[in-house]
Amino acid sequence: MPRGRILRWLIVLGGLHLLVACAGFLAPYDPIQQDREHPYLAPTRVHLVDAQGQLHLRPFFYGPRLKDGSFDQFEEDTSKPIPTHFFASGARYKLLGFLPCKVHLFGTAGTRLYLMGSDGLGRDQFSRILYGGQISLLSGLLGAVFTLLMGALIGTLAGFFGGWRDSLLMRLAELFLALPWLYLLFALRAFLPLTVSPLKAFLLVIVGLATVGWARPARLVRGVVLSAKERDFVRAARGFGAGNGYLLRHHIVPETSSVLLTQAAILVPQFVLAEMTLSFLGLGIPEPAPSWGNLLASLQQFSVLVSYWWMYLPAVAIVPFVVGYQGLANALHLDEAAEKIEVQRGGDPS
Amino acid sequence: MEPLLRAENIAKRYESGGALGTTREVRALAGVSFSIFPESTLAVVGPSGSGKSTLALCVACLEPVSSGKIWFAGTETTALNAEEMRAIRPSIQMVFQDPASSLNPRWSALDLVTEPLKIQNRFNKQERREQGYKLLERVGLPRGKAEQTAAQFSGGQKQRIAIARALALEPKLLILDEALSALDCSVQAQVANLLLDLQNDLGLTYVFITHDLAMAAHLGDEIAVMERGRIVELGTAENVVNAPRHDVTRRLLLATPGVHAAAYAPQAV
Amino acid sequence: MRYLLHRLVQGVLLLFGVSILTFLFSTLAPGNYLDEMRLNPQISSATLDALRSEYQLDRPLPMRYARWMNSIAHGELGYSFAYNTPVAPLLWVRARNTLLLTVTATLLAWALALPLGVWSAERRGRWPERALSWFTATLLVVPDLVLALGLLILTVRSGWFPTGGIASVGFENLSPAGKAQDLAMHMALPVAALVLSALPILVRHIRAAVAEVLDAPFLRAAAAHGIPRRKLLFSYALRAAANPLIALFGFSVGTLLSGSLLVEIVMSWPGLGPLLLEAILARDLYVVIGGVLFSTVFLVAGNFLADLLLYWADPRIRIVAGAR
Repeated sequence: MPRGRILRWLIVLGGLHLLVACAGFLAPYDPIQQDREHPYLAPTRVHLVDAQGQLHLRPFFYGPRLKDGSFDQFEEDTSKPIPTHFFASGARYKLLGFLPCKVHLFGTAGTRLYLMGSDGLGRDQFSRILYGGQISLLSGLLGAVFTLLMGALIGTLAGFFGGWRDSLLMRLAELFLALPWLYLLFALRAFLPLTVSPLKAFLLVIVGLATVGWARPARLVRGVVLSAKERDFVRAARGFGAGNGYLLRHHIVPETSSVLLTQAAILVPQFVLAEMTLSFLGLGIPEPAPSWGNLLASLQQFSVLVSYWWMYLPAVAIVPFVVGYQGLANALHLDEAAEKIEVQRGGDPS
Repeated sequence: MEPLLRAENIAKRYESGGALGTTREVRALAGVSFSIFPESTLAVVGPSGSGKSTLALCVACLEPVSSGKIWFAGTETTALNAEEMRAIRPSIQMVFQDPASSLNPRWSALDLVTEPLKIQNRFNKQERREQGYKLLERVGLPRGKAEQTAAQFSGGQKQRIAIARALALEPKLLILDEALSALDCSVQAQVANLLLDLQNDLGLTYVFITHDLAMAAHLGDEIAVMERGRIVELGTAENVVNAPRHDVTRRLLLATPGVHAAAYAPQAV
Repeated sequence: MRYLLHRLVQGVLLLFGVSILTFLFSTLAPGNYLDEMRLNPQISSATLDALRSEYQLDRPLPMRYARWMNSIAHGELGYSFAYNTPVAPLLWVRARNTLLLTVTATLLAWALALPLGVWSAERRGRWPERALSWFTATLLVVPDLVLALGLLILTVRSGWFPTGGIASVGFENLSPAGKAQDLAMHMALPVAALVLSALPILVRHIRAAVAEVLDAPFLRAAAAHGIPRRKLLFSYALRAAANPLIALFGFSVGTLLSGSLLVEIVMSWPGLGPLLLEAILARDLYVVIGGVLFSTVFLVAGNFLADLLLYWADPRIRIVAGAR
């Protein structure tokens, strides 16, 4: 049953999103807190058995120590094992955006545990990836929501009222569809002020995505509305004296829900990627706010590419989400197709 | 006696748009005139493409006519504005050919049947439910099935729901556009009998559209034969079947098994 | 024939519309962007004034647009403030580099995808096809950015291929064969990134189109006539599955200029991508507009090419088009 599949993928995606939403709890440190004495540290290894061969019940790690004769190469200081504490108290944050909290899943006192290494300013990459995910995913989700709202509105107007409105709107959609959308997004970004606050940049990205991406959903929704308009149950409702508002709300718009959901599953990962691309190139979310895109920006330097492989990890973070959304989109597509067949057959359960 | 419905010289033209801006005009109806008296049934027959469904939509005021006039119970429906139209609508209702298309498959039978009441703002929620159950029972659907979605019923049952829904606003005129054509033979007979019973009980007037002359003769008091948008023959059922005057009628009779043998006798034009 | 003419006219009108749209977007730029140029010490104020009057940047939008259209007629496409040259020649050079990359990648991708797609459509369900399915599914979930960066890191650490640019130092001194080899080495990485990201989609579409055709009765009849399998697959099945594939090919052609934007930037390939980025950061707006228009031309041309090919390949379309 395609419905079961959809549910499974929703659960998977829900879990992934929950992980990111709880960035405050899962991340041990503040994402913008710098430590200029320890730039580009490799991921700290967590041990259970120490250098003397003794087993510790609590996982521990070694602090960084400069290698002899070097001033930027670090190694483990095996003389002093530092224990990790679970449910430790750490930097303040707001759980889910509004509950002030101080407890983190794990933390350390003093020396920091860089689970995924540190960046050029000594900030903890693990924490930054978690927080960055919040921004990148939110851009994708909100961008998709606005795009679909715009597309659904325009598509419904065009399909339901027809006539010159329909022709005009569809010509406009054709225009937007003719443009390579990444180019258009870039061009749009080009014409807006380059240096803005992170919040403004976030809004610009979302608005930009909606401006560029409304055309395809609009066309799809229009198709659904056109065919729904011709269904006899709409005619019958008119026969009972229903006005346009009633028809739209009760009969036409519900028909568009499945195509909108499928489009959502397709657009969200695309938009997250678009935000990542923009931020990677310096056109999106600016420092110090982390986003998966600007976390990768340092890879544009050759030295980083060669020596610091862990700076690539933010790129990998998006992959499970792409898998989840693609799975959801496929399952929704199958469900949509199955529904169409059922309607054609006259809805007979046999 | 005054006719309940009178049509005078109705014409309906459609514009079909082709590529590169060319448009073709399709004349679906031309010069159609007839009258229907209360509590009678007018059967409209004809080959496909003869304009029967277009006529149904025009008489039901679901499509505007290009020219001509229609009177219903003394009021000229072709001259009404939207507000006045809304007041008339409860009196003229339609049952469509394909119940899979005329019933929203996601809705329950109860919701479907009470939709007209909701739109016309009659009764409160509780009373509407009761009305809904009564309507369903009248067409032979038990209360227990009322919450099932339309998709879960058989073809014949769906058409019963459609009929029940059409009766919700207590119409005087019911237009049945090939309402039995999509059903199996045995089910057709059942629903046809239901329609006759309802007509007797409620004093309804029917316009019955069909391509099946036998069904038309069975249900209709008068028969109108259509071809290419015009009425080519109009008379009582007996006259049309026993003494057809137009070629089209004769052809229809020949194609219809089980009608009076007189139809097979060749007629001089 | 009239149908094709109609589509051509539609395409041209579309380009006009696109140019107006992009110009409209440029009005979002706050203030007069020449003001930002003033901050750049390399551009003298005399140049600025000359530019201002020539491009009528103080005048309202329709006049600016008309002036820009005029410059298109002269083959200039506006003026680049950063490079101090008309936009068109700048775009041509970069576009040539981009096309070098994308044409190679597209040909390679199709050359790989066609046999893979046809072959996997035939052997549905058996394990080699399952393995291919897995491989394409994995590639599909890896976004372009991740793929490009990943390849870059691999190359940098292994040193197999040069990690950027189009030519090594001392390129001019190489023999023709040496030049060709140097170019190939530089192209290898970006082409690989492009092919790997395009391959799974192509294979999927080809497999779906061919699989649908393989179930058709006419193919079984042909097999019963004893036609050898390879001929069956490629001469019969592929031809019948051609329609969606031609549309796909048209799309491939359409994205020749725009699909490699990211890969070029990441791998420092001197194509349209890096030019566009530079232009954005330097607020060189005519270059941005010109770049967008250039790649749109290709997109529209690609669609038109698909229409043309479909018209030629599928007699049904000719009949329908002729009847109108």
